[in-house]
Amino acid sequence: MIKIEATERSPQVEFDFSSGRFLMAGESFPEDAAAFFGPLLESMQSWLGESHDTDVQFDLQMIYFNSSSAKALMNLFQLLEDSARGGRSVSIHWHYDSDDETMEEFGEDFSEDFEHASFVLRVTEP
Amino acid sequence: MLASYYQNFKQELDGQGVLLCYSGYVSEKVLFSLGDILRRKMESEDTNQAKRLFSVFVEQVQNIIRYSDDRLVTSGSGADAISSGLVLVGSEEDGYFVVCANVLDAAKVEDLRRRLEGLRGMDKEQLKAHYREKLRSPAEEESQGGSIGLIEIARRSSKPIEFDFMDLKNQTSFFCLKAFI
Repeated sequence: MIKIEATERSPQVEFDFSSGRFLMAGESFPEDAAAFFGPLLESMQSWLGESHDTDVQFDLQMIYFNSSSAKALMNLFQLLEDSARGGRSVSIHWHYDSDDETMEEFGEDFSEDFEHASFVLRVTEP
Repeated sequence: MLASYYQNFKQELDGQGVLLCYSGYVSEKVLFSLGDILRRKMESEDTNQAKRLFSVFVEQVQNIIRYSDDRLVTSGSGADAISSGLVLVGSEEDGYFVVCANVLDAAKVEDLRRRLEGLRGMDKEQLKAHYREKLRSPAEEESQGGSIGLIEIARRSSKPIEFDFMDLKNQTSFFCLKAFI
């Protein structure tokens, strides 16, 4: 289990490996994106390599993220897509407010090209 | 004399619609504080416009922090970097603008100019496709995510981005980039 509280510039993170439920929410423009996301990517990669039976549901409720965070998120999703190609059930839920054009558009950018993982855009009313 | 000099200086900036102007050494902490002020200033504006402005501001200032050739701290990156540049946020008749400028190694100019000319020539759909492609491709060496940052700036800009270079002494160049929101 990885649990990181949100800060003014980094998101809340909850990686519950035992249940396969993952959450990232809030703002992401950390001072050092590699330092923030590197350990998360490593943990995800090693868990996906060890545990093959657990279904994954990943919920994202982002308000804002910068381009370095976008790259890191894509790397994370690509790990999940690879695992889904290997047979795991993976669903990624991209939540955004109905009036947030930027997060809607980012959801569309990220969702393209997923063949094995399901990437679902979920609009929430503010 | 002192007051009249600086009043003129301030009036010159005010006349150009400048809301925020920062010149000198900038770090991630300075970026955060300036960004916070910008968000407060934009609270009464359209939320989507405020978000686009904030996004362009962050990418522009992070480009100074990462790529300016005038650095106070030469080792390390990210959280430790302190680099010099110029940041202007202002409003014009049809919206806001963000200008960032910094000194660059002249050897980097041609590559950057080519990339920016490419982005300037793209319409919204081409920028979107280019962003999606770069999002999925492995990071370029030494780029620290910067190549996708420039696409993000061009994409959020309501008009084609403007940029310019001026040769300086010691194989350096003064680079500036203007985006419109």
